Amino acid sequence: MPMDAVEPETPPPATTDDAPRVINTDDGAKDGLAKCARCGATEISLNVATGHLRCGFCRFEWSTDNAIEAFNLNGDISKLTGLLVGSGSSDIVPSTDEILTFKCSACGAEVVIDTNTSTQARCHWCRNTLSMNQQVPNGAVPDMILPFKVEKSTAVEKIAHFVGKRKFFAHPTFRAEFNAENVMGVYLPYMVVDINAHAKLSGQGEHQTRSYTVKVGDSTQQRYDADLYNVAREFDIHVNDLTVESSSDRLDQNTAVNSNNIINTIMPFDVENSVRYDSNYLAGFTSERRDSNLDQLAPLAHTQAEDITRHRVNDTLKFYDRGVRWAAEEVDVRGQRWVSAYLPVWLYSYQQRKSNGKTFLHYVAVNARTGETMGSIPLHQSKLLIVSGIVQLVGTVIGLVLVAVGI
Amino acid sequence: MLNLTLWAAESGQILAAGSSDDDSGGLGLVFLLSGFVFYSAIYFRYRNSDKRHGHESETEATMVNMQEHDEFVKARKGLSNRRMSGANNTAVRGASNKFSTGIMSKFKL
Repeated sequence: MPMDAVEPETPPPATTDDAPRVINTDDGAKDGLAKCARCGATEISLNVATGHLRCGFCRFEWSTDNAIEAFNLNGDISKLTGLLVGSGSSDIVPSTDEILTFKCSACGAEVVIDTNTSTQARCHWCRNTLSMNQQVPNGAVPDMILPFKVEKSTAVEKIAHFVGKRKFFAHPTFRAEFNAENVMGVYLPYMVVDINAHAKLSGQGEHQTRSYTVKVGDSTQQRYDADLYNVAREFDIHVNDLTVESSSDRLDQNTAVNSNNIINTIMPFDVENSVRYDSNYLAGFTSERRDSNLDQLAPLAHTQAEDITRHRVNDTLKFYDRGVRWAAEEVDVRGQRWVSAYLPVWLYSYQQRKSNGKTFLHYVAVNARTGETMGSIPLHQSKLLIVSGIVQLVGTVIGLVLVAVGI
Repeated sequence: MLNLTLWAAESGQILAAGSSDDDSGGLGLVFLLSGFVFYSAIYFRYRNSDKRHGHESETEATMVNMQEHDEFVKARKGLSNRRMSGANNTAVRGASNKFSTGIMSKFKL
């Protein structure tokens, strides 16, 4: 959300206690048949090339409002106080159904939408598409959505290129089965956070004044002289569009058991270009439902805000070229704004079956806005070990010779 | 196998530290561990298990109303480490991928 912009014209009213103030982001949203304004068809999908919604019948194109402007999310971060949340970021009520049934307003049939993977379904009788745009407390409909911008053909090319450069030590089964065309477009759930905080850090820093060598026995060693300073910094910090995963599965980034870190790596996204949520953006793609609440994600977001603070203040510490040891760090969050978003990812996944019977899901992911690509490729361990052994053997011989001559 | 990689990474770190303070025999030691270094390099190139979003540097943030305080304490002589002992101004604690902020972050120092 852009900073230094105008304060919302009509901010949500302040509450007397610490309860969050809610920005209603599904005003006017309707469930059911979403029709083309020109021909009335429900065959609507995203035209990735233009970023607009397009009717599949008459080719009429239109765009949805920018979410940041529509919901006044571009208010000055320095004026943020308390907790401001989008209505699509509200807590998930455990009893809320994940599988929802809608009545098709065209033919009267009952249509089921599995919100775990989409917010749309086609009526099996009349073939119209039903959309769910109103928010229910199950995390399926976010405050905003960032449409795909990178086309599938480009994503396929990027994935093929990424894997192509890592084929020699790739597992032979993976090499035989790899087909970049199997990539899928997925909208993944995130929380986008703005934070207004006051920071106070104190500690000590060192500035190098001299570097020289000394003789110790038969060898020479490096020594350093430095000046020690007491250092303190106090300032306000405005964090803009901090983005955190809001799916518990994706938050688990234990690289010994999954490759979710790959999807994490392709951030950041240009979330300022997000639009009001419309299920038609999901046509042809799949989605994952948010299953984490704000109170579960807040500790992570606040720790990341502290990291950002610690790194940003380094701009004022260039004199301390040997580093600074902070003894006390206080980052007091005075205001925060949370909105949920679906962000677009092209995802190639490969389930590796290991010889011990275990499986490991590898991802190659492309940020569908910036094109940034990252991946995990299954290794041919025995081949790598043999080549490493040969390298070790040759290296040992050379190393022994070099050590013997004292290099 | 990950343990082997970690061990190789640790060894590389020790080597790096050793070679910066004592220049005798450093190159020879690097060759003596070349197989492990090679394995680690290929492992991370293919698996990218050390990668993560750099939220600390890739997130937009601005500082305002800065107040700075710097006070000279004393001069220190004959220090053997190139970095200040216990320096934590580049620490990252909020990464979901703990592996990237554990041993791998030591290489960035």
